[in-house]
Amino acid sequence: MREMMDKLASYSLSDFILFSDKVYYRLFELYNLAIWPMHLLAVSFAFLIFYMLWKRPLWAGRGMGVILVVSWTWVAWAFLYQRFYQIHVVANGYALGFLLQAVLLAWSGVVKNRFVLLEQNRGRIHIGLGLLFLVFILYPFIAVISGRNWLQFEMFALAPDPTVLVTLILLWVGRASRLLYIIPIIWLLISGVTVLVM
Amino acid sequence: MKYQNNWSRRRFLQSLALGVGGLVTPVFVHAATEKVLTKAIPSSGERIPVIGLGSSRTFNVGSDPVALDNVTAVISQFFNAGGKLIDSSPMYGSSQQAIGYALNKLAKTREVFSADKVWTWESAMGPEQMEQSRRYWQVDAFDLMQVHNLVEWEPHLKTLYRMKQQGKIRYVGISTSHGRRHDELEAIMKSQPLDFIQCSYNILDREAEQRLLPLAKQRGIAVIINRPFQRGDLIDELAGKPLPTWARTIACDTWPQFLLKFIVSHPSVTCAIPATTQVAHVKENMFACTGPLPDQAMRQRMVDYVEKII
Repeated sequence: MREMMDKLASYSLSDFILFSDKVYYRLFELYNLAIWPMHLLAVSFAFLIFYMLWKRPLWAGRGMGVILVVSWTWVAWAFLYQRFYQIHVVANGYALGFLLQAVLLAWSGVVKNRFVLLEQNRGRIHIGLGLLFLVFILYPFIAVISGRNWLQFEMFALAPDPTVLVTLILLWVGRASRLLYIIPIIWLLISGVTVLVM
Repeated sequence: MKYQNNWSRRRFLQSLALGVGGLVTPVFVHAATEKVLTKAIPSSGERIPVIGLGSSRTFNVGSDPVALDNVTAVISQFFNAGGKLIDSSPMYGSSQQAIGYALNKLAKTREVFSADKVWTWESAMGPEQMEQSRRYWQVDAFDLMQVHNLVEWEPHLKTLYRMKQQGKIRYVGISTSHGRRHDELEAIMKSQPLDFIQCSYNILDREAEQRLLPLAKQRGIAVIINRPFQRGDLIDELAGKPLPTWARTIACDTWPQFLLKFIVSHPSVTCAIPATTQVAHVKENMFACTGPLPDQAMRQRMVDYVEKII
């Protein structure tokens, strides 16, 4: 094991990012074309989340949990494993990480109903709504703003980065267990390094 | 490309005059559009063009049909310019599938000199991985199989020697990159009957000159050079800087040609494998496969010049 770790340590980060930014973003373009009209479902998820935070029905905690579980599972399967794994040899590991997060979210948010939207957390909820607005509305336009083809957009529930950002916001608003932050934060680090290195 | 019709009697004579004392024998083979410089694989005498084609990053395009056709265009140009050796690895994502797609489409699965690698920490999985790679390439058998980055090299080499005996591969090699683990590679070269090694070497990263390249010469091991442009960084750094006028005497009109000629003119180097996604770059790179190569004095002049302007 130690020998294997030593050998792994002889690699640099760039050794594992063996695809270009052009190919990476084109992956989103082909993915978006292939999965249409799943985007409508993703948009409906966004509206549902806004509704749950605004009206705070009794089922809001579990509702958010279900949406997050479905989103993480879908991203793990449809994007990370089916697409990203084609060009990135460790993306199957990423997919497993996303599935594990889906299991944790299911346990904490759905089974145990631990996402709490309390009246006294109104300020936190309003900040969360503002942040969610940015991710839902602005994030898909990053591709165009960056000068890329608009079809390379990334949406919550379909692409990993916006899904992770929305999850972190909801975990914070819903005062979720810190354990649930681990995988999303690891993903943000991985994604950030990937974008920097490729 | 302006270079394509530049071949002339004058250049041919220059190549004879500047060829490095028989070490770089200016033997030419006919190709579709050019005559290319070749070097012999010491263990067999088989000659291969001094410029090959790498596939790390550049051919890892997934199942994107547009990108796959671009890979096909790049490989087509490579063959048209007289190229033969293409190198890949299971580590490079979908590069093997892209190469296989292109070779099949171009009907070149028998013409290519296929160089691939075995890359798994579970040595028992090696044969299965190599068979999968062969299916991706759509070739009958690999010409050269290398142990990637020295990973589990002892059991993998045993497997490769056995495969060579059985006629499943023709050559056995081992690879490293970024100048890593040269001490270990040197020890392996001294103890193993290798046909090929692969390592990084370019006009700025010349560590391989100290021990690996002389040892390869001494042991009769062919040498493939990866990362000839430091993954493009070297080209970026030199962009906009003036190519010396004397580069014309070795038929270099561009920096990539200059950098490649420096590499392949080393007496121990068999070929370099620049990677690209652009047809124009393949044309440019393959032009370094023609014309005169620098002698030792000129090579030193090239190093001095580049170190001065970078």
